Amino acid sequence: MSTSASATERRGIPAASFVEDVQTYLSQLNLDVSSALAHLQERLQQYRVVEMKLLAQQRDLQAKIPDIEKCLDVVATLQAKKGTGEAIITDFEVSEGIYSRARLEDADSVCLWLGANVMLEYSCDEATTLLQKNLENAKASLEVLVADLQFLRDQVTITQVTIARVYNWDVHQRRLRQAAAATSVS
Amino acid sequence: MQQAGSSASETEVTWEDQQNINKFGRLNNRLHDLDDEIKTAKETNENLEDASNELILTDEEIVRFQIGEVFAHVPKDEVESRIEELQKVTSKNLEKLEEEKETIVAQMAALKKILYAKFKDSINLEED
Repeated sequence: MSTSASATERRGIPAASFVEDVQTYLSQLNLDVSSALAHLQERLQQYRVVEMKLLAQQRDLQAKIPDIEKCLDVVATLQAKKGTGEAIITDFEVSEGIYSRARLEDADSVCLWLGANVMLEYSCDEATTLLQKNLENAKASLEVLVADLQFLRDQVTITQVTIARVYNWDVHQRRLRQAAAATSVS
Repeated sequence: MQQAGSSASETEVTWEDQQNINKFGRLNNRLHDLDDEIKTAKETNENLEDASNELILTDEEIVRFQIGEVFAHVPKDEVESRIEELQKVTSKNLEKLEEEKETIVAQMAALKKILYAKFKDSINLEED
């Protein structure tokens, strides 16, 4: 059985088995060329579907990370100003194109939006810890995702190469048969 | 009548070849992502340049500096130092990205040589 040296699957993505020899591959699967090609094409489609899903997840994470970093920035600024006793005056967006002025004095706590219409109040330190943890989780998830995508793309490449080889082998076989037929006739 | 021999290439693809092809694909993808990242980093650098130039021209003492989603009223000097900090970070990042790009381009050139040597016309490694 033709085996690949790497994992047989990764997080639900089946690995494409590398074909050492096309002839053995076809006889082991007991398929003719067109069914084998159809099977491989189907595999390729499945891979593409998973790729779309992973890419969407990657985009979400890549948008989330700068957001968390911005929040950390704000909390850090508030903490820095807390010591000096000065008030911070900021302009914030009320609606598109409309801004209002706010005066922040001695910020002891911040409210963090947790999603699902829930907002919790935290002390500045707790908020920093929570945001740091979220940031680290997001970055770790992104790393795993990127590795998944790389694995997936490798499997796509292997499948594409196998399709090309099966097709070429078929063309080669036809030529041999034609040559044999021609020589036997003449 | 003799038929001409088959002209279809019979080059076998070994697991090593497959791994080389896979690696080339991975490097190519990373190269495209890097190009995008480098473009964004250059834009950020430009924006910071423009901002610091505007800062020199303005005669206001308090500047509205964006922190997160809000604009905090910050004295001009502090804004100057903040922008300098950001510029340092972005320049370093840009340098790192350019370095990575050079390494990848070199690795891809080496792989191209190996793969073309074995497969000649049967493989296409150019950008479409």
